Amino acid sequence: MPEADPVCREEEDLVGSLASMSSNERIKAIQKMPKTMRKKREIRNKVLKERTKKSRHRGAQWTQGAPGVSFRRFGNALSEFFQQLRPWHKSLKIIGAEFGTSVLSYFVFLKWLLNFNIFSFLINFGFITIPQFLAAEPNNLSFTGLELLTGAGYFQQTVLYYGFYTNATISKVENGPSYNMQLAYIFTVGIYFVICFLILLFSMARFFSSNFRLTKAFSVNASKLLCTWDFNITNEEAVKLQQKNLLTQIKEDLTEVNKEVVNFSVMERFVHIATHLLAWVVSLATAVAACAGVYFLSINNLKLFMKGYSNDLQRQSAMLVLPVIVSLLNTLVPFLFSWLGHLEKFQTPGQHIYVTIVRNIILKISIVGILCYYWLNIVATSESQCWETLVGQDIYRLVLVDFIFCLLGSFFGEFLRRIIGTTVCVSLGLPEFDIGRNVLDLIYAQTLTWIGILFSPLLPGIQMIAFLIVFFVKKVSLMRNCQPPREVWRTAQMTTSFIFLLFCPSFLGVLSVTGVTVWRLKPSEECGPFRGLPSMYAAVDEWIQTLERYTVSKWVVWIYHNLIASELFFFIISTVVLIVTYLYWQIIQARKTMIKLLHNQIINAGQDKKFLLQKLQREQRAKRRSSSALGGRGQQRSSSSYHPSMQPAQEVPGYPERAFDRNQNTSHNEHPFSVEISSSSDFSPGKQLR
Amino acid sequence: MGNKQTIFTDEQLDAYQDCTFFTRKEILRLHGRYYEMAPNVVPMDYTKDPDVKLPMQLIINMPELKENPFKERIVSSFSEDGEGSLSFNDFVDMFSVLSEMAPRELKAIYAFKIYDFNTDNFICKADLEKTLNKLTREELTAEEITLVCEKVIEEADMDGDGKLGFADFENMISKAPDFLSTFHIRI
Repeated sequence: MPEADPVCREEEDLVGSLASMSSNERIKAIQKMPKTMRKKREIRNKVLKERTKKSRHRGAQWTQGAPGVSFRRFGNALSEFFQQLRPWHKSLKIIGAEFGTSVLSYFVFLKWLLNFNIFSFLINFGFITIPQFLAAEPNNLSFTGLELLTGAGYFQQTVLYYGFYTNATISKVENGPSYNMQLAYIFTVGIYFVICFLILLFSMARFFSSNFRLTKAFSVNASKLLCTWDFNITNEEAVKLQQKNLLTQIKEDLTEVNKEVVNFSVMERFVHIATHLLAWVVSLATAVAACAGVYFLSINNLKLFMKGYSNDLQRQSAMLVLPVIVSLLNTLVPFLFSWLGHLEKFQTPGQHIYVTIVRNIILKISIVGILCYYWLNIVATSESQCWETLVGQDIYRLVLVDFIFCLLGSFFGEFLRRIIGTTVCVSLGLPEFDIGRNVLDLIYAQTLTWIGILFSPLLPGIQMIAFLIVFFVKKVSLMRNCQPPREVWRTAQMTTSFIFLLFCPSFLGVLSVTGVTVWRLKPSEECGPFRGLPSMYAAVDEWIQTLERYTVSKWVVWIYHNLIASELFFFIISTVVLIVTYLYWQIIQARKTMIKLLHNQIINAGQDKKFLLQKLQREQRAKRRSSSALGGRGQQRSSSSYHPSMQPAQEVPGYPERAFDRNQNTSHNEHPFSVEISSSSDFSPGKQLR
Repeated sequence: MGNKQTIFTDEQLDAYQDCTFFTRKEILRLHGRYYEMAPNVVPMDYTKDPDVKLPMQLIINMPELKENPFKERIVSSFSEDGEGSLSFNDFVDMFSVLSEMAPRELKAIYAFKIYDFNTDNFICKADLEKTLNKLTREELTAEEITLVCEKVIEEADMDGDGKLGFADFENMISKAPDFLSTFHIRI
């Protein structure tokens, strides 16, 4: 059959090209093909036959595909094993079905953060705590229930805190293999942070690459119509609500006065700017005041602690004052910020959300910053017996009280608000789930946990349990009390920003705090794995010195001296990285210009087409007039002679027509332009790039 | 590993794994869902690749699709015979493209098909009007609909032919980063 020939030939080419790829690429290419499943399976079988033919040709050679394929199978089996956590899948599906992708992104983020804590807990427990159990000293303190809240007392002499760990080299068998606790401690924490850094970096890069747009042109209406319908939502009420929201947005867009055209008078603009400035001043002043309050309170606390307490109850309550005040500040000041945001008249609701989130970030960063300053500068140099354990206890209390306030916030913010909104003050309605605030709370909690890893190795385990409970409580509260969001929440953009926030102030800050602690601070003399050393890092130095004695490990020593401990190496690497970044920046600029040029080229091509068609119409009309004068003989010939020239014009650029072989009844309108010639349609001019 | 299942041969499961974004367990679970829609018609034993199709009426009553305004278009875009009945192959294909691992380009191709109501490879004004009606439950007046559709074509049509070709659509999708997460159905 002559028509099937080009089809068959194309298919053979496809099979040939697929057969020559590596198996991973081949699988990816097959998965991406927009053909029916039956066709894909046929092609896959043909490709496999082709490959076995080729490998038989080459004799009993080791087929390149085998290890790649088995690796992928292994990866699949592994992911199936982890998918045993079906409870996640079902909860996420239910949440997405009723509330959409925006609220779902909070729970997905929470689940992702949980993985960091699980990983940290496992390696800390495995490498640090279990060996410590073998060399444990007996615990003489008594256990009262209050320790769970304050972390002090009985817990002080347990594996929970840094102070309990021994600095000895543990060995169970005489002259057997020994386990150096100092190295284990520092390397476990160090390797964990390096792995976290890499994971965060790659996630951030992946999100940026899929969500960052080079060109600014953003077609609001078109994308609202065609790209924003949330297919996740399967609940009838939620679908109706989403349709109603879209309707409201479209109506608002249609009837609004063009905001950019309205010119404010000089006076109004001045008032506008003054309000913004005032609001910012108030927010920053609040943040500074909060910091000062926290700082003086902590110094006071430390003084009282060193002096000793009159009775036990006073001691316990004094320890809890600081975390409670910090959590209160974190909970109540954001209300002030959103009230300020309502006072200022922002141009778009997006700006309002953005500014409120920035202010909350500033508040949280300053509080964490001042606490770190207090811990590293004041507590570390105080004359307490074991300052690392003190810091660990502080962080434990902060984490715990923050967790309790999170649950309380859910109770008051959502449950009581719903009761108020449905019975007492019906105009308020149901509360909405505040995604921004909740995500910032998660980032804050995770930052505290990361800071605390060095001082309290099992803290991630506690945070893990806390996150699990928070997930459950938030989900139940969401389903019972909240309504789906009304405002547009740009999920992809916000998720990228949150991961960036997790990396940039949060994780990098933690790295600097840990770095300062390990390099600069003097560990306490009487407790912990690093007692007696001038700094925690000195343990690594000593280890390298012991390695120098053996010739086998001289290369490790060489690497250490010339690569890790040498400044020249880092200087060279930084210069190289900066140069590469600059080159990539230039490439991006060039691509932006290229995009603009290509866009203009498409518009020009469209206008050329329009011009040529109009010319064609004129010629046809002229010919028809002249041929009708001649008696209609030339008409047939003229109309048919123009068709070949139409072929290139109507080819859809770059789109595989074969993709539509699904619907056999597609009315392939082969010559759309020829039809419209006779009806002399009007083409709208192409849009100029703004 | 685990129990020996007799629904598919190993070779079939490998083929499905290679052609979709699902793992073996998910494919077996999908078969379970396909089966429970019509237990009398769908065989438990798929080793011989039986030619069984379920009509559109059954598929659009699935809880994942029931409330979706575009359910008929989704099912007909994946139907091999063009009439909306899905074989198991098409069923798996549909949820594979709508899963979160499918790449943007593949989703864009099928989203284009879904919104192309008259299947002429272009999203013309009539298609946009139908889409708008489905999205807003037909509560806009006729002139509001025309206004919005004109705006959409004006914004997205680059080559000036009055309708959106696939290139225009893909260009628009590439500027909407939320598309990947919203064009997603969990099964």
